[in-house]
Amino acid sequence: MSRIIVITSGKGGVGKTTVTSNLGMALARCGRQVALVDADFGLRNLDLLLGLENRVVYTALDVLAGQCRLEQALVKDKRQEGVVLLPAAQNRMKEAVTPAQMKKLLGVLAQKYEYILVDCPAGIEMGFQNAIAAASEALIVTTPEIAAVRDADRVVGLLEAQGIKKIHLIINRLKPAMVQADQMMSVQDVQEILAIPLIGVIPDDERVIISSNRGEPLVLAEQVSLPGIAMNNIARRLEGEKIPFLDLMAEHDSLLNRIRRLFRG
Amino acid sequence: MTSDSAQQSPISTVSESDSVISTVSQSDPIVDCDSQVRLKKDGERLQLILPPESEIPGAANWSDLWQQLKQRLNGGERFWQENTPVHLMAQDQLLDALKLQAIADALLEIQLQLQRVYTTRRQTAVAAATAGYSVEQQAPTYSLETQPSEPAELLAEPLYLQLTVRSGVEIRHPGTIVILGDLNPGGAVIAAGDIFIWGRLRGVAHAGANGNRTCRIMALQMEPTQLRIADAVARAPGTLPEQIYPEVAYVAPEGIRISKATDFAKTHLLLNS
Repeated sequence: MSRIIVITSGKGGVGKTTVTSNLGMALARCGRQVALVDADFGLRNLDLLLGLENRVVYTALDVLAGQCRLEQALVKDKRQEGVVLLPAAQNRMKEAVTPAQMKKLLGVLAQKYEYILVDCPAGIEMGFQNAIAAASEALIVTTPEIAAVRDADRVVGLLEAQGIKKIHLIINRLKPAMVQADQMMSVQDVQEILAIPLIGVIPDDERVIISSNRGEPLVLAEQVSLPGIAMNNIARRLEGEKIPFLDLMAEHDSLLNRIRRLFRG
Repeated sequence: MTSDSAQQSPISTVSESDSVISTVSQSDPIVDCDSQVRLKKDGERLQLILPPESEIPGAANWSDLWQQLKQRLNGGERFWQENTPVHLMAQDQLLDALKLQAIADALLEIQLQLQRVYTTRRQTAVAAATAGYSVEQQAPTYSLETQPSEPAELLAEPLYLQLTVRSGVEIRHPGTIVILGDLNPGGAVIAAGDIFIWGRLRGVAHAGANGNRTCRIMALQMEPTQLRIADAVARAPGTLPEQIYPEVAYVAPEGIRISKATDFAKTHLLLNS
């Protein structure tokens, strides 16, 4: 049984595409057949982050229009076996596709691939409706900011109404030092509002930006980084392994901070 | 916003004399609590009542309606037996075969049987008949009389929901609302009667929406964006309380006040009896 997972957030810029590209690579490393689907028609980015932009020939729209076969549109990743990308069209709008068409497309992909990760556009309009149409599971990406959490909350409500019950939370770009100093929402604060199970916390790191710019997902890097490990752990948790969460706070848990917290009560 | 320097109480209050916020309450003097999907017991059957189409105009109509419907059905309210027949009061909603099927499937998921469809629209009646449901097409004027309209003073039976009221969700009910779960920021609960939140109240709660100032709002943890009782409006103080305990909001002569739930019972309920 293949799993169709939509990665969504409501708010833009919280890291949906970054998470999608890294999770795809990490799952393929676990030996899975993975298809990454860019549902962000008109503003496609997933090919950039995967470094596959120059190999895109056909897009999902060409497949739907019958101008090519599905296999022709799929871009295989040369660095990591088992990953293919179905690019979105860049020259069209979100209304160019209907939820029924998306369902059909993903249904065909589901016959061959074990994981289908759908990179959802920001917002809750047509593009969002398309992206979640065929999904059976969802990963909500949010950053520890009230605007992102508020939008994520709205999206969770919409997903539940759509009958998607398996929803997990990824908190991205956490800054442990700021949490420690009480300047940023903590993981608990976010969880308290969203009330959905947590599947991963990714610390804020400059290397994420560097890897995005180079089109090389972090999990493929030879030097392991903390965010890379966090992404890998999420992939393994999706696989059903029980993996303890990284202790992101440990580094910042100095004596001074402990005393400060003691006085704050 | 308003100045609350004169206020001693833990919550700053705004009465009608204040021009800034009272406009909020004046714009909708009587809040229409019937404008949402409702589930109602009617003898041996359940009535699933859709709001009239005019209440939710625009293209987003069906998806909004659908979200409300799913929420109401999955809200954990279980006052019915399995396989209870359901009568769908579609009013003037235009439902095609697909939408009827979706509703029937959603009902089936919680072991309810869609049996009969009441509608004032011909297309809906045709679609329902084609799908094999018994249909009752009412003349539009006739439906107005048979609409489940209680007299204004009489409240509907309490609505019990087990869910998280998330951002963007609004729950309206012409009676008392009990929610087992949190009311998140961005969400709203509007009741003609009292509001009980068995969880954290962080969004907007409006009790006594038809103008009843004796209504109360109760929550295990009161951190509202805004509280409204009848025509009074109040917002929470900027700082969070040190300790958390269940609280009750009520209308005092000077506006909305909040007190500890344990004290409230002593000072307000026993004195009155």
